Amino acid sequence: MTGAVLAELSGNVWKVLRSVGDAVSANDTLLVIETMKMEIPVQAGTDGTVTELNVAPGDQVGEGDVLAVIAP
Amino acid sequence: MIDQTNAAASATAAQAELARRAAGSDPVPRAPRQLSALGRAQLLCDPGSFAATGSMRRSASRHAPGKFDGDGVVTGFGLVAGRTVAVASHEFSNGGGSIGSGFAAKVAELQDMAIARRTPIVFLNDSGGARINEGIDSLNGCGQMFQRNVRAKSLIPQISVILGPCAGAGAYSPALTDWTIMVRGTSHMFLTGPDVVRAAIGEAVTLDDIGGADLHTITSGVAHLAVDSDEAALLKVRELLAYLPTAHGVDLPLAAPRDPLPEAEFALPTLVPIRSSEVFDMRELVRGVVDGSEYFELMEDYAPSVFTALARLGGVPVGIVASQPNRRGGILEITSSRKIARFVRFCGRFDLPVITLVDVPGFMPGSKQESGGIITEGAEVLDAYVTATSPQLTVVVRKAYGGAFIAMGSKSLGADFAWAYPDSELAVMGPGGAVSILNRRELAAADDPAAVRAALAEEYRENVTRPFAAAESGIIDDIILPQQTRETLLNALRLWHPSAGPARSTPGAA
Repeated sequence: MTGAVLAELSGNVWKVLRSVGDAVSANDTLLVIETMKMEIPVQAGTDGTVTELNVAPGDQVGEGDVLAVIAP
Repeated sequence: MIDQTNAAASATAAQAELARRAAGSDPVPRAPRQLSALGRAQLLCDPGSFAATGSMRRSASRHAPGKFDGDGVVTGFGLVAGRTVAVASHEFSNGGGSIGSGFAAKVAELQDMAIARRTPIVFLNDSGGARINEGIDSLNGCGQMFQRNVRAKSLIPQISVILGPCAGAGAYSPALTDWTIMVRGTSHMFLTGPDVVRAAIGEAVTLDDIGGADLHTITSGVAHLAVDSDEAALLKVRELLAYLPTAHGVDLPLAAPRDPLPEAEFALPTLVPIRSSEVFDMRELVRGVVDGSEYFELMEDYAPSVFTALARLGGVPVGIVASQPNRRGGILEITSSRKIARFVRFCGRFDLPVITLVDVPGFMPGSKQESGGIITEGAEVLDAYVTATSPQLTVVVRKAYGGAFIAMGSKSLGADFAWAYPDSELAVMGPGGAVSILNRRELAAADDPAAVRAALAEEYRENVTRPFAAAESGIIDDIILPQQTRETLLNALRLWHPSAGPARSTPGAA
């Protein structure tokens, strides 16, 4: 899926920094997952607009889950 | 008079045949190739230095007598930056570069000579694999090449470049060598091509799906470097060889020492975030430490939670293994363990000092890793560090927890020296996890568990994880500041390499 932002690791969503409708650039941090004592930033893969945001702080996510979708 | 005329005529005929043969063994390259096998070997080597051997040799197979001079491979010796290397370069225009018995015999003889003379060997691969119409003769020849690849492993550097479709037997030889470089778009490696895959198991796949540069440098780890052209690949080989001795036990190629770039060095004191959960780019630290802030990264895109690269320290080539916190938190898992074990073993074989920079949260837990055999792969890291005989210098940059602390070049495995930064944490597990286990009852009974947990974690951090305890017990040789890293490493490195350049040129010194 183009623009899908996937969880690189399993963990808990710690912070969500962007919302649906936000314009973002590639490599902007969208949210932060906390796992293995580390805060893993989840970044936009491309420039575009956030059209889907599937998680909220405290959610448990699995590796490969679609966390957000960005439309170019 | 008559005799002389005949002699002149036959000399001309011989010269004509020689010219025809030369053209036959060096045919016009087939698109998209821009260079013949000979052209590639010449471009790899210093100008005018490559000399081919056996350029008229043909297959002696009973089943399919050889049709091509050279039998589909150019073999010979040349110079790379003034040092002799052996080169085997497959000629795709002659029988698809297929491996016949003449081809295999030429390569095996080249391998024997490279081993005997202790020269590195470079394979420029562009071969569809075993020559089918030669039957078992071809397979026998392939096996003889593989045998020599393995025998050469602990003796001489072996570099493979993939410059076309390399199938079956043409893919195994690279897998037995030290490093494999692929060209994006034009090179592929697989055991069986798309047609056979479809016929055998009904799976529809493309060349890139089963053997492209991205697949092998990102996902499978079969290849270790991807570039965009044949020329770039050959340049990478020259760059890589510059860090390596010509053989095991031979002096490392020393260069003039160079300081890191000033801006990279100035960044060191504030580079590592105090909060151990915050990510940063370990490459910045490497740039602040190594000569000229330059390094040659291997397996960049495979298991990026660890960083492996060759660099120079005071002019001495070194291997660097580092946690990369900004990729998957710098965690150790199956793929990153394989990457480290492979790299450390390579450094050990060729006497390259191993510098390990540690900021590791641990081994990745969970069913996926356990079912994939993380125990075995993690053990390979331990094995690699224990058996590598080159100098091992380790710096704990921030976190070093649990089994991962042991695995990442600890003194307990045989590191010659280990240092830690003052704010680093060394423990069986991080403070959060530790208090959950040690203070379970206290936390359960607390009115405000979060506050109690934070206080206990801070206490644990202060009393247990600080590196001073490790220094008192000799597990760490000293506590150093980030800006002292280069000087500290250089001082130690001089035990093996007295010429390892000055940490810093002394102002006013002659």
